[in-house]
Amino acid sequence: MSPPERSHITLERLVDQTRAIYSLPYFYERFNEAINHPRSSIADIAKIIIEDQGLTARILKLANSPMFGYYAKVDSITRAVTIIGTQQLRDLAFAASAMGVFKGIPDELMNMAFFWRHSISCGIIARNLATCLRESNVERFFVAGILHDVGQLIMCSAIPETMSELLTSSRSKGEHFFHTERDMLGFDHAELGGALLQAWKLPPNIHEPVSCHHAPRHALQFPLETSIIHLAEIICQALEFGISGEWCVSPLEPEAWDRLGLPVNTLSMILHQSEPQIEETFTILMEGL
Amino acid sequence: MGLTQIDNLEVGMILAKDVHDRAGRLLLGSGVELSQKHLTIFRTWGVLEVDIAGSEDGDQNSPLPAEITTEQMEAAMAALEPLFINSDREHPVIRELHRLAVIRKAAHEPS
Repeated sequence: MSPPERSHITLERLVDQTRAIYSLPYFYERFNEAINHPRSSIADIAKIIIEDQGLTARILKLANSPMFGYYAKVDSITRAVTIIGTQQLRDLAFAASAMGVFKGIPDELMNMAFFWRHSISCGIIARNLATCLRESNVERFFVAGILHDVGQLIMCSAIPETMSELLTSSRSKGEHFFHTERDMLGFDHAELGGALLQAWKLPPNIHEPVSCHHAPRHALQFPLETSIIHLAEIICQALEFGISGEWCVSPLEPEAWDRLGLPVNTLSMILHQSEPQIEETFTILMEGL
Repeated sequence: MGLTQIDNLEVGMILAKDVHDRAGRLLLGSGVELSQKHLTIFRTWGVLEVDIAGSEDGDQNSPLPAEITTEQMEAAMAALEPLFINSDREHPVIRELHRLAVIRKAAHEPS
């Protein structure tokens, strides 16, 4: 027996429904306007973040954690704007506040502490992989990693009965969660999350990797970013850094790995580097959530 | 000869191939006998593995940390079985992740 809600679940409807309930963190739109306005100064941009005290505190702690490796102490948002850069700071601030958007999801359906540990780990590992590949502006990897499973949260809040049924069914059939989703709904949490981020007007280098993290071959614009998120999630699952809806290690697309061109023993180095950062970042971002 | 990870290098080993850093800059030529200073240089320049004359490939499964017992390893492997059930364990990346996961689990779990 399927719940009555099932027949009219579509990706578009879920995105609309979510946008009606949860607004894009308010500062994001204003921040974008400020960045794009030709006459705004760094002080104007910083002011928008400073209005949110909790967010300010979290960003300063993040910016000063060893993960960032900034040589100067970042003691104010104004400094953060100049050192981290406006767009990276905007994306970071978005991720830090997006974590607070989905509240009130029952623990039995999805344990949020495990969920965010999985997401944050994925962000950090993705960021370290990108650094290893000498990519610039690595914060976008961190943000895409943190948000990669946001589609699951949409389902937890909009269609909890169906979500619970999906979770049970994928485990009892022993199949991957995103396969169950595609079978029962016709789309998966990756596409759903990407669609929401796109509707929220996040840049394509964030929403495409989220959309395609279970099918990196479909990423046309940002195949490298997508491959990195794809691999980072698999690493988190294998090493049991937190848990999301998936109960086993997702299948690795060999082409995605080949695209990175890394030797296999980089993995142990990445882990070594990431583990302490995961603990610290988790503590900073979960504070007051 | 074979690739050897820098953690397993020892002073006195002979390089079978040139060593380059990640940007492709030549650090040491083949035939050089490693000294302590060279090992530091490899770490400084982010070299992960070098080709050593006479060593065998295939000791990629580096020796277990001493404090882990065989029982702990086996328990960890059994516990991880469901997690990897749908994975292609022939792929080198999955094999390496499985190895790392087993070691991590065995080290964390009390015997």
